[in-house]
Amino acid sequence: MQPLSGMILTIAALFICGFLAGYLMHRSDFCMAGAFRDLFLFRNSSMLKSLLILVATAAILFEIEFLVGLIAIPFPFFGAPTYFGLFGGILFGFGMVLSGGCVVGVLYKSGSGSRPAMTALFGLVVGSGIYAEFHQTIVPLVSQMELTTSVTLPQLTGIAPFWWVLALAGGVLFWVRRWSRTGRLQRSFGAEGYIQPWKAALLLALLVALAAASSGLPFGVTTSYLKVAALFEQILAPQHLATLPLFNEQSVIHTIPFSGEALVGGAGPVLDVIALLQYPLIVGILLGAAWSSARLGEWSWRGHFPLAQVLTVFLGGILMAIGSRIAAGCNIWHIWGGLPIFALQSLLFLLGLFPGSWLGSLVIKRVILGRANG
Amino acid sequence: MIPLDELVRDIRGKVCPSSLLVALRNINENIEAISQGKLILKIITDSRDAMVTIPNAARNMGLESQVEKLPEGHYMLSITKDIEV
Repeated sequence: MQPLSGMILTIAALFICGFLAGYLMHRSDFCMAGAFRDLFLFRNSSMLKSLLILVATAAILFEIEFLVGLIAIPFPFFGAPTYFGLFGGILFGFGMVLSGGCVVGVLYKSGSGSRPAMTALFGLVVGSGIYAEFHQTIVPLVSQMELTTSVTLPQLTGIAPFWWVLALAGGVLFWVRRWSRTGRLQRSFGAEGYIQPWKAALLLALLVALAAASSGLPFGVTTSYLKVAALFEQILAPQHLATLPLFNEQSVIHTIPFSGEALVGGAGPVLDVIALLQYPLIVGILLGAAWSSARLGEWSWRGHFPLAQVLTVFLGGILMAIGSRIAAGCNIWHIWGGLPIFALQSLLFLLGLFPGSWLGSLVIKRVILGRANG
Repeated sequence: MIPLDELVRDIRGKVCPSSLLVALRNINENIEAISQGKLILKIITDSRDAMVTIPNAARNMGLESQVEKLPEGHYMLSITKDIEV
């Protein structure tokens, strides 16, 4: 295939995956921040159950794709685990609960017109800009904090990925049958056009697998927030931008499956391989959610929220951005992409999400009930 | 029993999970009046998730809830002891 037509095919495939994911997430309110927050705030684990279904399904699909030669596992850009994975997870978990949505959650909520989510998006961009200021301090520490040179659990244990996938899928299937029998899988609902989260989880796993086959990578969006921050700095402070290594290095080389062409990219304000892989997903998610809410007659430019909530949501966005940078990936990258391949950094990130979300739950409850007018 | 009063809370546009937290607080503060059928608590929200979480919470507290979609695309949840009243 010609490189250009291959690239267009990749962009189209990622846009469609993003669009359908945005639609599904809006219809099912597939909020990962809510999944972790509600465990601590309301002792409710129903969304975590759906998340587990997504991870297990993605693990099966990735393994099949790997066995037929469609993708490489571990995925490119997944590195050895460091303590930064854990710290980043804590910071990210705290931030996403304060924001009321993760890096993708605020996208689908923004797509449906939510101003709090747009505020969090702005926080993500600002947080990315802040991180760029101390990126050079973090880089040398990463290698010092490395726990092992193995990237995945199968590599660490010497047990083939197939057996890990089998164990995960078997375990999840066992629990799904139990939840199904006791009625804990199905949620009663009153919203129009609602899609059960467990069904959305199955379809989202399929979309992540399709995106991986099209791009060689799972879903990822956060480097784009860095690129937007760099774009702002290029306009407002171009001389300062030139002094920041993160925004001036081409740190990534990636081969696009459909075209076979190796492209470079980085966090700088240019159209490169990162933009090619992430922008279609982001635009797709925004438009998919907008389409879903418009079809239901629910799209509205909404949000007159108190100043304390504005500041909390904005701060949450900043913390999420910094957390995802120091953990070398956001929750979507680690949980939808890393956990299904048993990446050790992703397991550490997940471990960090729990205390972070717990802390966030304590704070957000105070912010809401302290200021609510009801 | 005819409700004597209704309490309306507009949670549209607030950060998640405002709808459920505010609903729970208002239910708890008025549980006696709602249980006796003297009060209907109405929550206006744009959170689709609240259509799942608030009715569940109300059910667990021995109350019933009714969901109504408003013309502007938002939802109104009515929480009461007897939805037929």
